[in-house]
Amino acid sequence: MDFAFSPEHVALRRMIREFAENEVAPIAAEIDRDHRVPFETMRKLGEIGLLGVCFPQEYGGMGAGEMGYCILMEELNRVCTSTGTNVGAHIGIGAMVIHLDGNEEQKRKYLTPLSRGEKIAAFGLTESGAGSDAAAIRTRAVREGDSWILDGGKVFITNGGYADIVTVLAVTDPTLGGRGGITAFVVETDWEGFRVAREEDKMGIRGTSTAELVFEELRVPHENVLGKVGEGFIPFMKSLDMGRLTLGAACIGGAEMALESAVRWAKIRKQFGQELAHKQSVQWKIANMATEIEALRSLVYRVAWLVDTGQPFTQLAAMCKLYGSEVASRAIDMALQIHGGLGFSRDFPLERGFRDARIGEIYEGTSEVQRIVIASNIFREHSVRIRP
Amino acid sequence: MRIIVILGRVLDPSGIAVNRRVGRIFINREEYVLQPADRCALEAALQVKDAAGAEVVALPRGPLPDDDVLRQALATGADRAIYLAGDGFKGADDGVMVRVLAAAVERLGGTDLVLTGATTMDTGQGQLGPRLAEALGCPQIINAWQVSVTDGKVRAVLQQAADYVAVEAGLPAVVTMLPGALRLRYPDGVRLVNVYKGVGEIAEALERWDVADLVDADGLRPLLERRGRDFPPERERGSRVTGTPQDMAQAAANALQQRMGR
Amino acid sequence: MDFTLSEEQEMFRAMFRDFAAKEIAPLAEEIDHEETLPLSLLHKAGNQGFLGACLPEECFGAELDGVSYAMLIEAIAAASMSVAVVVATHVSLVAMSVFEHGTDAQKEEWLVPLATGEVIGAFALTEPDAGSDAAHQNASSLGTRATPDGDEVSLDGVKTWVANGEIAGLFLVFAQGLEGIGAYLVPKDAAGLTVGYREPTLGLRSVTFNTLYLEGCRVPQANRLGGPGEGWKMAQQAQDRMAVALAAAGLGVSENAVEVAAQYATERVQFGVAIAQKQAIQNYVAEAMAEVEALRYLVYHAAWLLDRGGGFSFDASVVKAFGARVVRSVTNRMVQVMGGYGYMEDYPMARKYRDARALHIIGGPTETHDFRIARRIFADLDVEIAP
Repeated sequence: MDFAFSPEHVALRRMIREFAENEVAPIAAEIDRDHRVPFETMRKLGEIGLLGVCFPQEYGGMGAGEMGYCILMEELNRVCTSTGTNVGAHIGIGAMVIHLDGNEEQKRKYLTPLSRGEKIAAFGLTESGAGSDAAAIRTRAVREGDSWILDGGKVFITNGGYADIVTVLAVTDPTLGGRGGITAFVVETDWEGFRVAREEDKMGIRGTSTAELVFEELRVPHENVLGKVGEGFIPFMKSLDMGRLTLGAACIGGAEMALESAVRWAKIRKQFGQELAHKQSVQWKIANMATEIEALRSLVYRVAWLVDTGQPFTQLAAMCKLYGSEVASRAIDMALQIHGGLGFSRDFPLERGFRDARIGEIYEGTSEVQRIVIASNIFREHSVRIRP
Repeated sequence: MRIIVILGRVLDPSGIAVNRRVGRIFINREEYVLQPADRCALEAALQVKDAAGAEVVALPRGPLPDDDVLRQALATGADRAIYLAGDGFKGADDGVMVRVLAAAVERLGGTDLVLTGATTMDTGQGQLGPRLAEALGCPQIINAWQVSVTDGKVRAVLQQAADYVAVEAGLPAVVTMLPGALRLRYPDGVRLVNVYKGVGEIAEALERWDVADLVDADGLRPLLERRGRDFPPERERGSRVTGTPQDMAQAAANALQQRMGR
Repeated sequence: MDFTLSEEQEMFRAMFRDFAAKEIAPLAEEIDHEETLPLSLLHKAGNQGFLGACLPEECFGAELDGVSYAMLIEAIAAASMSVAVVVATHVSLVAMSVFEHGTDAQKEEWLVPLATGEVIGAFALTEPDAGSDAAHQNASSLGTRATPDGDEVSLDGVKTWVANGEIAGLFLVFAQGLEGIGAYLVPKDAAGLTVGYREPTLGLRSVTFNTLYLEGCRVPQANRLGGPGEGWKMAQQAQDRMAVALAAAGLGVSENAVEVAAQYATERVQFGVAIAQKQAIQNYVAEAMAEVEALRYLVYHAAWLLDRGGGFSFDASVVKAFGARVVRSVTNRMVQVMGGYGYMEDYPMARKYRDARALHIIGGPTETHDFRIARRIFADLDVEIAP
């Protein structure tokens, strides 16, 4: 068993870390404070190929696999959760569905510019009545000649406010539900009938766009159906599965940021004549953080290997997201506490990390959904079918 | 046009702790980075290539245990890279390197421009560029801030005190770069993955030469012999002199004489 | 041991809840997002006697007993923890200090304006290099100096994280004198007093936390509260009162968080049923409720103990440490119950989550309170521990 990263992944990490420190970290506080999406960062990432890190080179990607994508997410989130989120929504769910289920023309037409960052993608699944219960979506697609007419809307869509392409899930046969009744479409956001209705005001990840989308008689050509009509649910769920793994990787970064801040502060801050590093309360917090990060790291990169070698990974990916989001939340909470009053002040980055981390247990499948997935998978092996 | 870039690596100083009290250097984190000045040289070469077209060839600054630095150069945009290896290559000093590099240039069929860092973070000697220029018999411009090539000439901007000075030389020439002036580009993701995986055209652009084919055993013998290493002597605390200017001058003179043992 | 509230206490509680629901709750989101606190709101609270909560009726106070006061802070916090902290700072830290330690002249000058809210109080103890925990500082560790000069005192130094800084008319400033630490009543318009930088904060965004500069700030000697060198003990007593008030605020936030989330759970339908039908959600709500109830009786008991007088530091630390843990745990869980809506700032839970995080830090970090609890436990076994 070789636990070493391969040379291209070591080199990739080094490159991304430098990019993150030079291009992303310096504006992290500003984009949060000003509630702005750093388009310039997306452009720079696209120029060096990182927005297609896991997609095949023949479609403009880098061909570095899920492993490479996990490394990208870890390193970006180590300095800025908002940037990591923008990138994750673009690669890991928005474009991923096209990679998983698109035909040759669709990949050439869409995946290539998405890999190069010439266009930005979003993932249109969630609706106000369909959060954890993804199959409860109501957006309707009705066939009309060689087009489909979409009516409905989506909420809480990351990148929704500025994406060029949205992969949308809609109901094509209400009688059939998730099996046979739901279809995936590639929608271009400048088409008539597509509208961004509002931007959410979020507690954290304020450098991201979280938008409500409205489709009003949105005409989508039949050639933009992804995969087969009625069979859109599976690739969307598979995208989410893979997304969970990479969110776990993102959480490694977030937790590391917390640990590094805590260690740095403990080295310099004195109380009762001694640096905080000499206090057991602080030592315990740091040791706990570090241990959980290592456990998470081992889990995430092993699952990345499973994905890249074509092995089953759904249950483990859910564990990555479940455990990762909780590890990151615990870590930033401890780091904030170590900083005392400064942790509560917006002049220091801890509170931003605190606000940013909280979404981890909620988006892309709440921790509750992850537990249902894990338990379902376990019981299925014992022939017990669990319903959520 | 061909541009040769000479690059080396150095231990990341942020992983090193120097403890004078116990007289040791602790390497807490052994990670290597490209010499910043060499990286600047590479960026300068790539900018010339972008502007005027050129073949950029990367060569090592010294013996390297692996070809990572050269792969980085290829990933960032160099067209070719040559890894130099061989027994007897260990411990090469700048004298040896100059002989090896001059021979390599000849084997390549000559070059129009050589770019390298003006100095290195570890030894800080800055000898390689000027000595190589001598060996190649071409003009040298050292400590350049910026570089461009037009009409068969190389033009460089140097910083001197509060001024900038532009100088020009005919090609071929050797130019050494100071770090800091240029915005360094990132490697291209696809090139990076391919060169480290060893696939595609870019993998073939990395060659491996044996130094024994370039220089004979005598030529590989270093002039410098390392006999040990130590910290510079502790700076002693001075003493203050006060009084009238005459008093102070006398006190200072007495102290100097004492120090000089008279 | 009779655990029932008196009729009067029941009446007060209803009144407090009513006030909070009518006057504070409708503004809570806006004042948090705008990071303001309209003085009109404080005036209304003043008119109700809330700003003189525990002060006698002669000074226009409401003469509330400890438990009733705790319920007041609890009710206010259920609507807005920021407003609760503003009121608690004013009452527990400042007004009550004047009441307990003031001379007749000082009480004459300050109690009525404090009770009516004409003057808001702020408590200036923390310094850049000295945390707020009065009990751990040795006598010479306050940097702010009080230098006597005739019948005046000149105060010099810097105070940080002074809650109510921008709205206060009276600052209770702790400074190092020759005989130890003294407490000084400093009016806002005293020469040499400057209210400086306002800390931007994660939560409690309607509270102003300011840096206070004292540069040759002169006040009459008569403005010293209590005897020379008594400032120390006074600060600790004030902080112990505040510990109960802060825990009461935590209680208010927690119980409201459970209420809001439980209501949401009955309305949010996923997988064909309201999520209130899901066992995981039921467990979250149940665990939170048990924590809330445990905190409730700990707070009321601590408030009752405070009324009875006597040594209190240990109980103050227990209630504060527990309160911080409960409010953090409960708000965190209730955000989770609300899912995405728990993260959006146009729903109340995100604000409660951010506000709740303060309780592990203000009023003394939990680590300090844990130390005090441990110190007492081991002292009872004749072992002395150091921080």
